[in-house]
Amino acid sequence: MVMLEARDVAYEYPGPVKAVLGVDLELKGSELVTVIGPNGSGKSTLARCLGGLLMPQRGSITIDGVRLDSLDDRARARRLAMVPQYLPLLPDVRVLHFVLGGRYPWIERFAGATQHDLDVVRSALTRCDAADLESRLMSELSGGQRQRVLLARALAQEAQFLLIDEPTSALDPEHQISVFELIAEQTCHGAAILVITHDLNLASQFATRVVLMDEGRVVRSGSVADVLNPAVLEPVYGKNLRFGEVEDPSGKRRPYVIPWRRLGQSPS
Amino acid sequence: MKRPLERPGRVVVLLSALLAVAMVMTIAVGRQNYSPAYVMRAVLALLHLADPLPSPLQTILELRIWRALTTAGVGASLALSGSLLQGLFRNQLAAPSLIGITSGASLGATCAILIAGGYAPNLVMEHAAGFGSLLIPLFGFLGAFGAVSIVALLAAPAGRISTPTLLLFGIAVNMCTSGIFAAIQSLVLRDWEVSRSIMAWTFGTLEDRSALHAGTVFVGLIISACAIPFVALELDLFKGGESDAQSLGVAVSRVKVVCLAAAALSAACAVAVAGQIAFVGLVVPHIVRMTAGALHRSLLPISLVAGALFLLGADLLQRALLGEGVLQPGVLMSVIGGPFFVYLLVKHRRELSAW
Repeated sequence: MVMLEARDVAYEYPGPVKAVLGVDLELKGSELVTVIGPNGSGKSTLARCLGGLLMPQRGSITIDGVRLDSLDDRARARRLAMVPQYLPLLPDVRVLHFVLGGRYPWIERFAGATQHDLDVVRSALTRCDAADLESRLMSELSGGQRQRVLLARALAQEAQFLLIDEPTSALDPEHQISVFELIAEQTCHGAAILVITHDLNLASQFATRVVLMDEGRVVRSGSVADVLNPAVLEPVYGKNLRFGEVEDPSGKRRPYVIPWRRLGQSPS
Repeated sequence: MKRPLERPGRVVVLLSALLAVAMVMTIAVGRQNYSPAYVMRAVLALLHLADPLPSPLQTILELRIWRALTTAGVGASLALSGSLLQGLFRNQLAAPSLIGITSGASLGATCAILIAGGYAPNLVMEHAAGFGSLLIPLFGFLGAFGAVSIVALLAAPAGRISTPTLLLFGIAVNMCTSGIFAAIQSLVLRDWEVSRSIMAWTFGTLEDRSALHAGTVFVGLIISACAIPFVALELDLFKGGESDAQSLGVAVSRVKVVCLAAAALSAACAVAVAGQIAFVGLVVPHIVRMTAGALHRSLLPISLVAGALFLLGADLLQRALLGEGVLQPGVLMSVIGGPFFVYLLVKHRRELSAW
């Protein structure tokens, strides 16, 4: 079983900005963990630490028992892919070449991409419903298309771990669902997925486990029902929330949370 | 925009063939024109593969050969340097002058001219006397490399070079060196000989170049060109930002150091032997990007060959139209480079607005 383990990970920026102050976290194969929390709670910093882009100042991160900081960049990228929240426009790059970037850790130096690499890229594009975009310029894509292409690149990386930052922040409701369905599908292939999101309802529908962060620490980690309830969320998010339940297609009742103003209560 | 070129081999071969023709023509055309057959004989004689031509002829042609080689090498070095820096900075306006290379070289060369002009202590003068023609390129190179090193060190407080910081320190160091340069110029204004030499150097010259000049440029160029396979794929991935590239497995710090060192070395050697030649480093990568696409595995090698062809062709054209020694290549590049750049930008305005 693949396993990413973070023990007491801490990263502080100079100055009074968001930070991670000692986080324990486990991520196993076939799991979809969503990390939720208010702005500045340290979610993205944690993801950058787990992805090897920031070196934690304290604690350790291991991936299948190997220390993350002992792997070189290519070896790490073969095991762990990141989907950033945002990328610049990339006007002069075509989708096929962009997604081919995901093959970089697998391509031998001086060798160039092989037919196998191209096959992997095309299949990733197909799985993300973006096969028809391959010869389009990145700058011509809509927000939803760009999100699918970013995901396709991560899939082309053929990594067991996927760290995804805010995949739905720029998408309409229909695309939010389809992107999350696509992400959830990857767990069927044994991938271990961590998604950072502000969308509590998407977390409710798709997560196998929810991690709530606040002020650099994990406040609660557990099943959807354990975390998405007033007793846990209100101390962190404030009182302007309404809770309810919806029956999902399998007949299971799942909580939903909507931001809704309460008179006389301003957020702290 | 055209489809990006994935295999540059054919284009590089084609441009190289054109370059060879331009080289032979450059050598053949001058105050006195000679047939290409003579040119080939002179080249073979240089390589000890044939008997030398009769005495003045061989010497004249050899001088022209070194001049042509220096010109091609300088064009190639500047274009390669520019395309590396544009990739590194993810900015099409980056050029070798941006990170202190040109102003550093100017300062170094000016110091050499001051020494040669008698402004140094006698002890230095005695030692420098034998190296007259060596001194300017040597100091130019030291100035250029020194300035880039200062910029790089200032921009990497914790051993990691930050690209935006690099740009700012490049501008700051440029200001410092330009200030010193201006101060020296104004101090020696009354010394006609020295002022004239300094000004002539800043115009960039390719006259009277020797095997030493050509050799210096080509050593820098060849070492820098060896960096291409180590940074080409990586610079394509830099387009999404440095941390995105790192998440894909690129050793970002190493790529930045290799890129910067290669760009600095090739441009420093070029500026050291030929003085300031503007626009080649900026415009050639542009033209290549607009015709061959933006993938660095094509962009870098094609820019190298195209840069040589560009400077050689421009120099050949102006000598054919205006006559020998009317305009220095550096001045020529400034005069045609600016308007040409404006033309390119206007023509591609719509695509550029996407940036």
